[in-house]
Amino acid sequence: MMFIFRLMVRDFRSGDLLTLLAALVISVGTVTSIGLFIDRLQLSFEEQSANLLAADRLVRSDENIPLDWIQKADDLSLEQAQRTSFTTMMFAKDSLQLAQISAVTDSYPLRGAYLVDQTLFGQGQQWTQPPAVGDVWLSSRLASMLGVSIGDQVEIGEAEFNVSKFLVRDPGSTTSAFAISPRAVINHKDLAKTQVIIPGSRVRYSLLLAGNREALQEYGDWLAPQLVDGQRWRTPSQSSERVGNTISRAESFLLLAGTLAVVMSGIAMALASARFVKRHLMQVAILKTIGATPKFLSWAFLQQLSLLFCVGTLIGLAIGWGIQEIIASLLSGLMSTELPPPSINRLWLGVATGLVSMLAFCLPLVMRLIKISPLSVLQPSAKIEQNTAIIYGLGFAGMYALMCIYTKGFLLPSVMTLSIVGIGLIVGLIGVGAFKLGRRLTSGATSGWQIGLASLYRRLMPNLFQLLVFTLIIMLTLILIGVQSSLISDWQKQLPEDAPNHYIFNVQSNQIDAINQTSQALQIPHSDWYPMVRGRVIKINDENVDDLYPEGRNEPELVDRELNLTWSDQLGQGNTLLEGDFSAEGLSIEQRVAQEVGVSIGDTLTINIGGNIITLPITSVREVDWGTMQPNFYLILPKQALQDYPANFVSSLFVDDDKAQNFYKGMSNYPTVSILNVGDILKQIQTIIGQLSQAIQLVLLCILCAGGLVLLASVRSTLEERLEEGALLRVLGAKSSLVRQSIFVEFGALGFFSGVISALGAELCLYGLQVYVFNTQANWHPSLWLFGPLIGVCVILTIGVFASRKVLNVPPMHLLRDL
Amino acid sequence: MSNRTAIKVSNLTHTVTSNTGNLTILKGINMEILESQSVAIVGASGSGKSTLLGLLAGLDINTSGDIFVYDQAFSALSEEKRAIIRGQYVGFVFQSFHLLPSLQAIENVMLPAELKGDKDARQKAEALLQKVGLSHRLTHYPNQLSGGEQQRVAIARAFASQPKILFADEPTGNLDEENGKLIIDLLFDLNQSQGTTLVMVTHDNELAKLCDRQLIMSSGQLTEKSL
Repeated sequence: MMFIFRLMVRDFRSGDLLTLLAALVISVGTVTSIGLFIDRLQLSFEEQSANLLAADRLVRSDENIPLDWIQKADDLSLEQAQRTSFTTMMFAKDSLQLAQISAVTDSYPLRGAYLVDQTLFGQGQQWTQPPAVGDVWLSSRLASMLGVSIGDQVEIGEAEFNVSKFLVRDPGSTTSAFAISPRAVINHKDLAKTQVIIPGSRVRYSLLLAGNREALQEYGDWLAPQLVDGQRWRTPSQSSERVGNTISRAESFLLLAGTLAVVMSGIAMALASARFVKRHLMQVAILKTIGATPKFLSWAFLQQLSLLFCVGTLIGLAIGWGIQEIIASLLSGLMSTELPPPSINRLWLGVATGLVSMLAFCLPLVMRLIKISPLSVLQPSAKIEQNTAIIYGLGFAGMYALMCIYTKGFLLPSVMTLSIVGIGLIVGLIGVGAFKLGRRLTSGATSGWQIGLASLYRRLMPNLFQLLVFTLIIMLTLILIGVQSSLISDWQKQLPEDAPNHYIFNVQSNQIDAINQTSQALQIPHSDWYPMVRGRVIKINDENVDDLYPEGRNEPELVDRELNLTWSDQLGQGNTLLEGDFSAEGLSIEQRVAQEVGVSIGDTLTINIGGNIITLPITSVREVDWGTMQPNFYLILPKQALQDYPANFVSSLFVDDDKAQNFYKGMSNYPTVSILNVGDILKQIQTIIGQLSQAIQLVLLCILCAGGLVLLASVRSTLEERLEEGALLRVLGAKSSLVRQSIFVEFGALGFFSGVISALGAELCLYGLQVYVFNTQANWHPSLWLFGPLIGVCVILTIGVFASRKVLNVPPMHLLRDL
Repeated sequence: MSNRTAIKVSNLTHTVTSNTGNLTILKGINMEILESQSVAIVGASGSGKSTLLGLLAGLDINTSGDIFVYDQAFSALSEEKRAIIRGQYVGFVFQSFHLLPSLQAIENVMLPAELKGDKDARQKAEALLQKVGLSHRLTHYPNQLSGGEQQRVAIARAFASQPKILFADEPTGNLDEENGKLIIDLLFDLNQSQGTTLVMVTHDNELAKLCDRQLIMSSGQLTEKSL
């Protein structure tokens, strides 16, 4: 044991083990830092989304919250709050107004905060306590409609309340997009004395929960089978589809970035292991001649690698932790919120990376070493018995396993592995062809560039391998740059500064012109007006919905509630026709709800509109981007089907902050019209997007650094051969300029070819990623074809010339003696 | 010199597979080497000298025939057991020295004794290096030593495990005359002082003449040169 340890110390001193240790530390460090950082971002997004929900989870019901739901939450030690929402008339002095009342318990909100103000239409300050008993908070719009100010009395049902604050934002308000009457908040303890809730009242009860993830998950799993019609379980990501989409795309990007880090780590470990093995071949043969048995050598290497794994993984974890702390502190100045601390249990990812790297990349190669024949000391050409298919197979399996562990899925790793195999084939074909051509063009030549081109073919296999590594690294870099820039520009495109931030509802056809005039006078742009008629789907293909979904359990949204129906001659903004004919005399259905109930073109839906039953075939399917903030609908009917029903109209507007007060005042002339302000949620999304953009750029930078290190390692792996050749050329009388020129040409050509193949690979991968992973529009990237070869030539030439500088600066005698 | 047989070879044949088909390098070789004898194997390049040396030392397995080292049949043993025998009975000196570049001179010499678990490895190595005149070079690395010095370290390493048989493959092939002579003196001194059997491949006739016996390898066959 001590001897093995001494051998290890000696190996370490020589630097060979250090290279392997460095590769392991880089692998574990990169994956750990990115893994931890992504975890922190995810936790942060969850927190921010939870602020929109006012809780970590929410369950809402049309009936009183059952006691056993509360009991179960108690059992799991979850924090709880309740909100009861209803619409009723509010009276003040001589005026009355329909208002949306929320009665909240003292612990509300569990997440986020109210924004309240003492002045009408003020900007608001954060407030985490609900109204005191006897107090009411009114939205500025409601207060101005009622003509009350702070200190005035208002009546709700049988109870009187003191107006104590103006409500700017209710943290849970965005969850109920159609609760559009002006808002008021009272304390839950005052609810009973209003006496407004009687049997048959339309009331929405919400139980809000907060706590640790496992308990929430357990609660959700326990609750799901009990939910009936009118009851829903909501998570933060569902609270805003827009935020959910943005975060999930960012997560896909970060996951991709992390997966690429895994691939690079694998390459780094494979390169370092190959170098370690190459430098130990003769040593093992010599040890065998002096009596080291295969068993002893296996045991010795196993112990060395185990110790290396422990030390490398520990250092890697520490460095990874440090790097993510640095990234987080760099970001802290840019982010509006502080990142939550990372979860310690995410460190297992780094440990798994270290273990799989050692088992898949290092161990098989090192164990192959043991098979070297001791005869090699007499006949250096003696080969190792080996099964390269198993070694490469294990390497690929290891990388695949790591990616699966990392992404918790198979799709991305499978796509990535197949791409690498594909790129390997392309590299093989193009590389052999191009190197052969170079050889033919330069036969018998003696100039530097001719020697450089000729040596590409002379060292065909090492050069092909190096070409593959260069290509992969450059391609991965191009993909990341391409994805992050298109992701950011896509987000920015979707959220222009003048994105609509208000919906205006319940507008009668005879009010449209007057409202148009008001908005034009204030220079407030608005979208088209859409008529809305309420209706409920009662049959799908002649089968009653009640039969299809007995007891109302897990009903899809299409049949769960009354829907807003509309008619339109043309596809609205954010709508894409997927199949069918939009102008046909039938139903146009949104893709996701169609999938939920399993209907497609040709199926029929029967709808109850105010007691009248109509049956229509589905004639088109649309994809709807709900994030456009334009009015959009699950079902669009032909005009003939709806025109005889009384409709009210909806539109969306962008109201600048400084025009808001005048706009609200103008709209108070139309007390029956409802306005929903979604500006807060938009601002929240814009903040998240801003933070995400910064975060993914930093992650990209980390990956680029790791890529640079791998490139350097790759150049080093064939350095000895190049140094020996260069030294021999100089011994034979070649001028430094000739050697320099040949090195320039060789690395330049490798860089150029890898750049071109990378551009091709990146273009194909970006197409796949944009269409299938990020669900964005695919487009060509001409810049890849310019930057791919440019990066290839510049980076590889620089690294290659830097690494080979010894050949030019050190006397050849020294070089030959050292080799 | 004792009458005990150190190495016995009977009907040894060795065939290798090359791109052009099978090539028989050794053709039915028979010989016997007694303990403490010094034997030179001479012959032209490519005649099969080094192949024979490798087989005698158990570095490779012959195609047919038998090799006995102190009555143990090498050809029937696994690599594991052959390595144990090498550790117990055999020392090597190579033409290109084959020192481990990452180890100092003293560490190279300590290796065989350390492998055997010898606790006095360092002292023994120091004594051996002193014997070969390198006590001032203990902590030098191979690339800091001249060719002659490297070969002296290799000889010290070969004798560190007190082998019963020393195989030397062209031990002076890479050295100048002066260093070559020094190495030869050392080899024969140690051979005589420790009673080690010396089997040496060389095409230096003067060196071969110093040995007790000369065996001539030609076209895969071995003949004894009468002295």
